[in-house]
Amino acid sequence: MSLVATAITKRFRDVTAVNNLSFTVPEGSLFGFLGPNGAGKTTTMRVVLDIIKPDQGQVTWRGRPFHQLGRGFYGYLPEERGLYPKMRVVEHLEFLGRIHGLDRGKAQAETRRWIERFDLGELSHKRIEELSKGNQQKVQTIGTMLHQPELLVLDEPFAGLDPVNTSLLKEVLLESHHRGCTVIFSSHRMEQVEEMCDDIVLIDQGSLVLNGNLKQIKRSMGRQILRISLEGKQDFWARIPGLRLLSSRADYQELRMDDGVDPNDVLREAMDAGQVTRFELVEPSLDQIFVEKVGAGA
Amino acid sequence: MSMIPVLVKREFTSRAKGTSYIITTVLGVLVFVGLSFLPPIVERFSASFVPDSIDLLVWEHPGENSILPYLEQVSQEREGLTIRSASGMDEQEAYRLVLDQGLSGLLLVDGPLYTLVTTDGTNMMLNGEIESIVNRAVNRFNAVRLGLSAEDMASLFNRVELKVREVTPLGEDGEELDSTAQSQAMVLTYFLLFMIYMALVMYGNMVATGVAEEKSSRIMEVMVSTVTPLELMLGKIIGVGSLGLLQFVIWVGTGFLMNTMGNTGVLNTLFGSSEILSTIPLDIVLWFGLFFVAGYFFYASIFAAAGALVSRVEEVSQVVSILMMMIMVGFFGAYTSFLNPNSAFAVVTSLVPFTSPMVMFSRIVLGNPPVAQIVVSVLVLFLSVLVGAWVSAKIYRIGILMYGKRPSLRQVVQLVKG
Repeated sequence: MSLVATAITKRFRDVTAVNNLSFTVPEGSLFGFLGPNGAGKTTTMRVVLDIIKPDQGQVTWRGRPFHQLGRGFYGYLPEERGLYPKMRVVEHLEFLGRIHGLDRGKAQAETRRWIERFDLGELSHKRIEELSKGNQQKVQTIGTMLHQPELLVLDEPFAGLDPVNTSLLKEVLLESHHRGCTVIFSSHRMEQVEEMCDDIVLIDQGSLVLNGNLKQIKRSMGRQILRISLEGKQDFWARIPGLRLLSSRADYQELRMDDGVDPNDVLREAMDAGQVTRFELVEPSLDQIFVEKVGAGA
Repeated sequence: MSMIPVLVKREFTSRAKGTSYIITTVLGVLVFVGLSFLPPIVERFSASFVPDSIDLLVWEHPGENSILPYLEQVSQEREGLTIRSASGMDEQEAYRLVLDQGLSGLLLVDGPLYTLVTTDGTNMMLNGEIESIVNRAVNRFNAVRLGLSAEDMASLFNRVELKVREVTPLGEDGEELDSTAQSQAMVLTYFLLFMIYMALVMYGNMVATGVAEEKSSRIMEVMVSTVTPLELMLGKIIGVGSLGLLQFVIWVGTGFLMNTMGNTGVLNTLFGSSEILSTIPLDIVLWFGLFFVAGYFFYASIFAAAGALVSRVEEVSQVVSILMMMIMVGFFGAYTSFLNPNSAFAVVTSLVPFTSPMVMFSRIVLGNPPVAQIVVSVLVLFLSVLVGAWVSAKIYRIGILMYGKRPSLRQVVQLVKG
């Protein structure tokens, strides 16, 4: 385990933003950090990176507490984006490279490389304030990885990016991952997390809901989702106790079975109702897990 | 590895290229250049107050003792003074003559009563000049009346000069104070004092505004994730400080340049003669450097903390107003020390770190404060620089990520304690 958070608690006056939260991030993983709005994700990231001190608990990286490690071995994209508005793109990136510990030559070389990679060549001598929000975000994202950090912590890195840049960033994150970098990012787009991440943590109201390998989490939730499509009476399931309709799409319906319901019984009923063209037991999607775990309260 | 040099460099280069910095620097240069042309301008300007030629028509009540001959005597000694007699005219004719010929005025003499009738009654310079002319004539008149010789007159009006010597507590006889040296020292001190004052106000504000800008542009969170708040604060203070130093070097350099280019240079105006510049005592320069740097560091760290307490640049002026007041008290304290370097107010303010950079500096230059006071003042100031930086760094560390309502003073105290 590379990053271990142990029982961290952070209070602001009478609000408890993070409450006795423990989780682990495996080394070299692409890690999804999930939670509804106001769950304490940003505060947790700040505590993890030793930007603010927790009231209790501690965070270690490869067994050593964060505050002993010095800064700059990681890259951090805060939720609140911000750059020096008067600086030029090249200047700013070189500066970010330098404060992350690169020497001047290396900072210049890396800046050139990344500007090309993110297709910012034409903008490289413009002031930050002249750039669009999306391009500013690209610059800031580059700023987190110029120095090839061991750890990347990105708060909503995809928010506000168009599809082209989204796939570009996805590519870059996967590259970092293959290089061995541990990448932690938060997102509201569950299918993206599902597509990219091996491991996740899900928090709600400052407390832990889920943490671990995404596949194992899904498996442990059980194959209790049924996908059925049939030509005939669509509402046959209403006669079976313990079934709930999750979604109804043009191509299939998704039903959730409570414990104790036998899928074979459901199949029999369906066959009575009409011609069954699809009958599948599937694991829940991350979206469904998310809604199920935090949706009730939210 | 400390990131302070990188931070200082960014602070310096990005600001030095900024329009506002270039404009204030150029304006300052223009002021210094303009000042060097000031003496001839002032000369010409003040000359216009007193006309070169004073043309006075004198109308006397008929009587035995006429002042007229004595006025004529004075007119022979003073260039440009013309005395005309209005004897034989009546008052109306005399007025008309003054108006028609554009004379300086009509002097009506009625026994001990002297009245000036003029078209330019609010010209104080002219009035004063005529008054002194009249008095010189009256003095002569009285001397003759009392039967005094010219020597008697001279000894009567002879002035003596008071020399001042200081005696130190050690019992040694001090050197004689040279009053011109003293007044030159005062001008020099005033100039250096004003530089400290300007540096604290201008660059202190620049630090506070810079911190607030970093907060409002939200770059702060990235910065504190890579460098420590103390490094960030010191980087800003040193960056802005070196920027200010460069500006002062440019300005003073301009002054010196103008000075060497002609003997009407600005520093000439300020110091009376260009010789004094080469004789600025080294110890004054060293004291200036010490109080300048220590005072700047002390104030800049507090300004930085103040900037960290607000969320937007517009709010900066509210939180720094109290600091500006402290600086003004310091300037005032230094000013009172000009009049008396050992007054109670000057002594107290020269020990308090908020005011000591200005007051103790001017006391040292102008007087001979007790060594114990100097030592205490410098120690207190140095200690305060450290304590101030420590407290400010604490406020800074928490303040920089705090947005929204500005915390009250009590909350700030709690932050520092916690």
